[in-house]
Amino acid sequence: MNKNNYNTEELEARLLSRFDRENHFTVPEGYFEKLGGRVRDRIARKKRRKMLWRWAAAALLAGCVAGGGILFESKMNNQIAETEDTQYIEDALDYSMIDNMSIASYLTEAE
Amino acid sequence: MTDEKALIRQLQDPSTKDAAFTRLVREYQEPLYWQIRRMVLSHDDADDVLQNTFIKAWSAIDSFRQESRLQTWLFRIAINESLNHLTKKKQNLSLDMPEGSVADMLEGDSYFDGDEVQRQFQEAISTLPDKQRTVFNLKYFEEMKYEDMSDMLGTSIGALKASYHHAVKKIFDYFENLD
Repeated sequence: MNKNNYNTEELEARLLSRFDRENHFTVPEGYFEKLGGRVRDRIARKKRRKMLWRWAAAALLAGCVAGGGILFESKMNNQIAETEDTQYIEDALDYSMIDNMSIASYLTEAE
Repeated sequence: MTDEKALIRQLQDPSTKDAAFTRLVREYQEPLYWQIRRMVLSHDDADDVLQNTFIKAWSAIDSFRQESRLQTWLFRIAINESLNHLTKKKQNLSLDMPEGSVADMLEGDSYFDGDEVQRQFQEAISTLPDKQRTVFNLKYFEEMKYEDMSDMLGTSIGALKASYHHAVKKIFDYFENLD
């Protein structure tokens, strides 16, 4: 029989006659006894990291809210200051409209 | 199966999750380890992949909808993690230096007790494409049924049979060429 015509079972049987199914891989002593603890440690670390991220996200959100509040308040104060500044400038403009004669007569009367 | 359902219920309940997960690790660590080890070959790599498998299972257990058995689901995660690990390793090796032979690597591995013939057998298996190697390991060593394999790998039974045939043929040819 041509080896190219072997079906799967025949090929498998030929391999099995040469290579058994026995497991030749081994593990360090006590490996499976300790594995559960190591997995639990990694999960605990993962939980802590998750918690830390949540805190960081909450802190960032709080920071954004506080920052926004401060920015809003500062903008409001600026608007009030701007209003006061505008009034001062308008007064100054009014004074600048007075001509020299009026100033002179004002000063003469004052004496 | 009822026991499995109870375990899943406990795993999805936050108040019993930790204890149930300890039970799950104890119950499935060995079959998962050997499946992963046949894929990645070294103990250190198998240890990494197995831990990652459990961490993934821990994170995803709430979304496990019991459409398959718990064992099938865990094996699926383990196989995906093994394949991802092998892909990353190949990328890193191609950047660093050419990969040595599997037989040489196993000769220096204190956690492999096979002889020269077994080392050559592993060398031949390592020449198979990753997915074909997965099918070969599950069928040849674990004697897993195609139906179970199909659930686990999400591949049709026909495709798995074809894949296994190609795998045994390639290994057979590998030794024919050596002899």
